[in-house]
Amino acid sequence: MSGKQTSPSPALWGAFLLGGAGVLAAFALVPRERFWANWVLWFVLMATLGFGSLFIVALEHLVNARWSVAIRRIPERIATLLIPVVPVGLVALGAVPVLYPGARPEAAHHKILAGKAFWLGTPFFSARTVIALALGLLGLYLLVRGSLAQDQSRDPAFNLRARKFAPAYMAIFALVTTLLAFDWISGLTPEWYSDIFGVYLFAGSFLCALSVSSLWILSLKGEGRLEGVRGDHLYNLGGFIFAFTVFWAYIGFAQYMLMWYANMPEEVIWYKIRLQGAWHVLTVLLAAVHFVIPFFLLVTRDAKGEPKNLRRAAVLMLGAHLLDMYWLVFPNLGGRPLFSWPELSFALCFGGGSLLWMRASMSRGEDMPVGDPFLREGLEFRL
Amino acid sequence: MAETFAVLGLFDSADALAKAIPGVRDRKLGRLEAYTPYPIHGIDEALGLRRSPLGGMVLVMGILGALTAFGFQYWISAVDYPIVTGGKAPWSWEAFIPIMFEVTVLFATFTAGLGMLFLLNKLPFFGHPVLQSKAISAITRDRFALALEAEGATLDPAACEAALRAAGAREIEVVPAPERAPFVTSDFVLRSLGGIFLACAGAGVLMYWAVKLFPVLPPMSYMQNQPRLNAFKPSAFFKDGFGMRAPAPGTVARGHLPLGAATQEEAAGLANPLPRTREVFEMGKAAYHNRCEVCHGALGKGQGSLTAAYGAKPANLQAQQFRDYPDGKIYWAVTKGKNQMPAHDADLSETQRWAVVHYVRALQRAQNATDADLQQAVRR
Repeated sequence: MSGKQTSPSPALWGAFLLGGAGVLAAFALVPRERFWANWVLWFVLMATLGFGSLFIVALEHLVNARWSVAIRRIPERIATLLIPVVPVGLVALGAVPVLYPGARPEAAHHKILAGKAFWLGTPFFSARTVIALALGLLGLYLLVRGSLAQDQSRDPAFNLRARKFAPAYMAIFALVTTLLAFDWISGLTPEWYSDIFGVYLFAGSFLCALSVSSLWILSLKGEGRLEGVRGDHLYNLGGFIFAFTVFWAYIGFAQYMLMWYANMPEEVIWYKIRLQGAWHVLTVLLAAVHFVIPFFLLVTRDAKGEPKNLRRAAVLMLGAHLLDMYWLVFPNLGGRPLFSWPELSFALCFGGGSLLWMRASMSRGEDMPVGDPFLREGLEFRL
Repeated sequence: MAETFAVLGLFDSADALAKAIPGVRDRKLGRLEAYTPYPIHGIDEALGLRRSPLGGMVLVMGILGALTAFGFQYWISAVDYPIVTGGKAPWSWEAFIPIMFEVTVLFATFTAGLGMLFLLNKLPFFGHPVLQSKAISAITRDRFALALEAEGATLDPAACEAALRAAGAREIEVVPAPERAPFVTSDFVLRSLGGIFLACAGAGVLMYWAVKLFPVLPPMSYMQNQPRLNAFKPSAFFKDGFGMRAPAPGTVARGHLPLGAATQEEAAGLANPLPRTREVFEMGKAAYHNRCEVCHGALGKGQGSLTAAYGAKPANLQAQQFRDYPDGKIYWAVTKGKNQMPAHDADLSETQRWAVVHYVRALQRAQNATDADLQQAVRR
């Protein structure tokens, strides 16, 4: 059951390099705000995917789940995306003085922002981001590296260590997701507050990680790897995706409804922008692809474990999360939705790069945590 | 002999049971069912059990719940009684969503719970016939039973027994169909009515407590006992000991500009600002009817219905003295009152008072009409 060597994929490399050239061109040619908005979008997307995958792993250790032992190696491998997220995040700090009103020089003359200068200003903003990235690496070191080492050592002590660390990681995860949401997305409009916004991003993050995990599991199964992973395991993944589309809709609507009811100018403007012109179309589309369509795709019992259907739902969810990030970041640039060669280049570069990284990581360790004493129980899982 | 409900074949292990299923299933002697001490993975598929219809029922009822809540709220807020609340249009779908969500959940959970209990598990029928079998104590311990159950048509016990034996059953038991008592007995009806009566009585007592007593019990009564200023009640809060405050000197209420004239003679020069239109006369008539008529009478002759009770002598507005009054003096009397007549500046607005003056003039002219007036009226 040893992991196979990944074959080189010239198409992906080509897309990555072409995208990279486009990103460099965009840096030279398009307005800085637009360049950095793209960068922030992809940074948040990759970070949510990495942290969300680590959340799946930590969740298993936290609640002593057995079924997911059989598929745990996949989110573990995807979570290694937190390594390339570090340089992406550090470069993204360049966006802070450009995009974030709280860190711009005008903030000194703004009564509210001046009072929060310490929190919103570049130094502490950067420090928080560095801490968040470091906490991601710490989680990776304790949960993923230990699990990979267990493949050889077969030492069950890892399970005990992971179980002890998992609760702490949950607190870390909550903190990091909230920081990501508040700093990197809410921070674009610092006069707009939503307490629930961290939870909103968590829902998207978990969904994104589940979808990408499902897609890799289906892909590896297509290659004949992951023997023993059955419809029952897929059913659980589909069930989670199903449940969290509803959760996402619940949180998203709760946030919207409170602001709609209160109708306070500084709050409601955030939605007003997103409910005008072409953005309105995207808002309706987001509700459809993030909630309504996946809900009905996955509502029946058979649909959740059926590979073709699960693949369809997972691809849709991934696209929905991408649209969600775009919908959160880009309206703040003002004007109509922007989509042209810079956005495409970023998608090719960062999307292609992430795929390359994940492809390479699929040969890390065994395909299943063979050293985990609970693997057999996980494989025998039946609904 | 009673009809057969099922023929049970007992096996020693789950494996033996699983192995026996395909052979027995192919014979199609009756509905196949298994009774085991613990759940066995994959046995549903082996038995070829139909997927429970509950999921579909829940989905349909859930959607129905959402539509019900939507339609109900739409009808209430946008059609039957459209009202602007909190600055939102009557037709605001956002406000409907939480209730749609709750009603969806309500319909879905009730369908799941009650559908399972009553439709699928057939409550109020409690005793499953297999529970009456001799083998049941073994089945709940360490035996595994495969049952061929009667499905509409009667079962052929001999053929079933042969099939189960052939499949390797150690023991065979024939379970007779239970004699079902009729569902609605007089006892059942009496108990139901008694239960409903008790529930209503309990709900009544609870409701009485909730409405009458609970609001005045300590934690709730704090609200009434909080320190506050009561109108017309003394209060230690202000130095003068009054709860109510007098308006600041010189305060003028909207629509109540003070009358410039200090005496009725001074008011003689005021001119009626209102035109003599039908609307003004209607307004004056309504105000006169409400405020003046009880004393001055419908025709202004000073013989209203209240005069006898008070022994007062209201002015006869038809008297020559008042017919000669300028408008301003009548207006002054309405505003400030005169002799026993109260002031009406608090009850009637300035416009209403001037309208009353017009109306009084109309009464006077009607009671003292000349031939010229008649001709003028005829000409119109």
